[in-house]
Amino acid sequence: MNLSNSSISEINKLYKNKELKPSEVYEEVFTNASLSESIIHAHLKLFQEEGIEASKLADERFVKGKQLSDLDGIPIAIKDNINLKNHETTCSSKILSNYVSPYDATVITKLRNSGVVFTGKTNLDEFAMGSSTENSAFGPTKNPWNPDHVPGGSSGGSAAVVSVGSALASLGSDTGGSIRQPASFCGVVGFKPTYGTVSRYGLVAFASSLDQIGPITNSVEDAKIIFNSIKGHDPLDATSIQDTSIEIPEDKTAKVGVIKELMEDGISDESKNEVEKTIKLLEEQGNKVVEVSLPLTKMALSIYYLIAPAECSANLSRFDGVRYGSRESGETSYEMIENTRAEGFGEEVKKRILLGTYALSAGYYDAYYGQALKARSLITKDFDNIFQEVDYLISPTTPTPAFKFGEKTENPLEMYMSDLCTIPANLAGLPAISIPTGLSNQNMPLSIQLMSPARTDSSLLNFSEKLEKLVAFNQRTPLLKDMK
Amino acid sequence: MNMIPTIGMETHVELNTNSKMFCNCAVVETEVPNISLCPTCLGLPGALPVPNLKAIESITMLALSANCSITRNGMFHRKNYFYPDLPKNYQISQFDLPVGVNGSLEIILDESTETIEIERIHMEEDTGKSIHKGSGRIDSATSTLLDFNRSGVPLVEIVTKPIIRSSKEAVSYIEELRQLVIDLGISEGKLEKGNLRFDANISVAQEGDKELGVKVEIKNMNSLRSLEKAIDYEIKRQTKLIDTNKEIIQETRHWDEDKEVTSSMRSKEGSADYRYFSDPDLPNMILSEEFIDNIKKEIPILPSEKRKKVSDTGLSLSESNHLSKSEDWIYDLYLNTQKITNDSKTTYNFITGELQGQLRKVEMETLPEWFSSERLSEIITLINDNKISFTSGKEILTNLIKNDINPNEFAETNNLIQENDFDEIGKIVKDVIESNNDVVQRIKDGEDKLIGFLVGQIIKSSGGNINPSIAKDLLLKEL
Repeated sequence: MNLSNSSISEINKLYKNKELKPSEVYEEVFTNASLSESIIHAHLKLFQEEGIEASKLADERFVKGKQLSDLDGIPIAIKDNINLKNHETTCSSKILSNYVSPYDATVITKLRNSGVVFTGKTNLDEFAMGSSTENSAFGPTKNPWNPDHVPGGSSGGSAAVVSVGSALASLGSDTGGSIRQPASFCGVVGFKPTYGTVSRYGLVAFASSLDQIGPITNSVEDAKIIFNSIKGHDPLDATSIQDTSIEIPEDKTAKVGVIKELMEDGISDESKNEVEKTIKLLEEQGNKVVEVSLPLTKMALSIYYLIAPAECSANLSRFDGVRYGSRESGETSYEMIENTRAEGFGEEVKKRILLGTYALSAGYYDAYYGQALKARSLITKDFDNIFQEVDYLISPTTPTPAFKFGEKTENPLEMYMSDLCTIPANLAGLPAISIPTGLSNQNMPLSIQLMSPARTDSSLLNFSEKLEKLVAFNQRTPLLKDMK
Repeated sequence: MNMIPTIGMETHVELNTNSKMFCNCAVVETEVPNISLCPTCLGLPGALPVPNLKAIESITMLALSANCSITRNGMFHRKNYFYPDLPKNYQISQFDLPVGVNGSLEIILDESTETIEIERIHMEEDTGKSIHKGSGRIDSATSTLLDFNRSGVPLVEIVTKPIIRSSKEAVSYIEELRQLVIDLGISEGKLEKGNLRFDANISVAQEGDKELGVKVEIKNMNSLRSLEKAIDYEIKRQTKLIDTNKEIIQETRHWDEDKEVTSSMRSKEGSADYRYFSDPDLPNMILSEEFIDNIKKEIPILPSEKRKKVSDTGLSLSESNHLSKSEDWIYDLYLNTQKITNDSKTTYNFITGELQGQLRKVEMETLPEWFSSERLSEIITLINDNKISFTSGKEILTNLIKNDINPNEFAETNNLIQENDFDEIGKIVKDVIESNNDVVQRIKDGEDKLIGFLVGQIIKSSGGNINPSIAKDLLLKEL
């Protein structure tokens, strides 16, 4: 069978009917991983023996008819900035290359209790800082659609493994688009939930007020299943919210706004075209689509590059070589800390720590960080106002399809621009999803993004599921055929 | 020229919560290092803080008791600095929105009441402990051991305005604060255990100067005695520098307990930039009216109120202050006993002098259960009414501490009651005079010292139960 075209619910049905065993599915995804890894380098670690063992336990559960959940026996990959007990959590950084976590992140506990089989840890930009996975200390991940192109980032590994079928789904983290942008580049679905709906406990923090864990999947339905399994209030995360979901229209009565500012200069014609194509489908279905303006989205990038570095400058202070991780020697303990950080962090991470430290410094705080906080609350207010008029917002997920390696490494601002459309949802804490809709001239995937009001995650997913059917993208990376 | 010292105190109080400030680890008291740890208090990647509600209740109670305005919508900030025993290399603390601001504490200095204004009271987490080998300081240590048991223990910092004038006033302030946290039940308040740690900011200016002098921070004072000595030393040091036209450097100085001097620790302190910003891992600290009202209801009697109660019975301010800082059972025993004896001075002296002295001698920390204020007042009343001598009172007390006795009965059965009936004593006096005619003659001839002999005879023939002064008065009258 062709697993990579099967949904989690289909596979679960086969498991229950005893037509398929979790260990068989695990074997197939592991074969896919073994074949694809040398080309795309999406995994930092594959849990072969552990995976076999876990899938066999799942086999037994289905034999006894005691499945734990709809995710029982489903192989899922985890971004390597989420802690899995007794496994390395490297964050693709030299400074954590030898770090083994003594505890499970809350999302891992939940998936474990659901019977999920963990396939391995996936590559990312160091500490999730980047948009191409080129910032990994352990080498970049390649785009399964064309290895000359980047898979996006920072969850590049997590998007690539789903695209290539070496896991049925994966978890990523999204601070400024790190789930949606690579999902878009790799032609899969990426969902960033409302801030606080999924616990961050055990996710190595980049920018705490923006970070959110979410699924990368083959379909919206799969994203829904995983989201439902990992969401919920967590007493270990003081920023996690009680489950008070809000429902909004999910059918043709839903009103959709097109963000004017994300259909202008800086967005490629190909990306705009996908949005226009999708709008037509929506209108044909009977949805009302109107143009809306969010002028502050143009400032989102600047706000983000003050707030995220400021938070990361403190979040990454703990990596000092004193208690864990790599350690460089020094004459004094301070020298040791300095040498450890100088050796252990990559260039992009250092750049952001410097930027954030500067933005928080006495005399500069008010002009930079303080100002950014004020602007951020204005953006949130803008979204609140827009959502009085429309139920969903549509835009491209990325300004362009996946670019080539090295294309943007020389110009960081251009690299940062690839998160132009995704950052606003993080600043306002909104749920947002990227759905693949077509291919570019160069046969690289293109996607649209839908956003909705905070806490309307379920409605957004239901609405997206319908839209996904209208779009009927249904295309897979050619690499899959080559491998068989 | 007259020099005026100005002192501000920064005090850290370790709360006595069961668990740490931002995780469920137990607060432990042990020499065994690194046994109460978890991802959060060890700063492991991905771990998050969750505030301890009990600690927030405790600090709110302290802020209310110290007459602070309570910040209804406060928040936690990150204070960024690198130090090996600070696991995250930032401390979760509070910055511009502390729990309490603009408070005050009443203290007693000799026989007068002073008010110490409090600038702020805020919540933070403690660091781990560093043990520097080869030297006491990190820069010259050959190696450093780290113990994170203390990491994350809830701390309250109390900062006074710079208004303290002397070392004695500083000591009295710390004593008051210590008693307050003990009475509120929010800290053990033991200095020797580090439950209460204080730094002093000291400056000296010439009388009449509008501005304060250059501020020097003194650290490492581990007892009230060293606090007093360090402040006195530092005032002298700064005064001398001013007198000799030398510059006072803004710096942090270390109190050397053995040499009894302060020495420079670091002078770049003034330029430290902690890059405070609100902690994105923690929601705002919203203290509702209901929450505050509930805390108010739980506030027990405060040291200042205790003082008032005691001084209303007629004791002086310093005596009242002493009782307000004594253990509860002493304070209660005084009030209950005084109510019966109606004699505040004797009751106070008998309890704080005789009773506490005897208990110390037999190494008892509290009273036996039969020891009631009623029984104690019986002894005091017997003495006051001249029914027994003070020496007999002491003897009854010694027995009351050891055995379940009734003081009145004990006095009777042990023949401690003094004969105070003048007729009765008069008879005995007459008898003694008759049977000692020769002695009487000699007294009349001028041998005054024989009066004592006759008094002795009177007491002897009464069986020892005659008040000697009454006997002497009557004897002289008869002669």
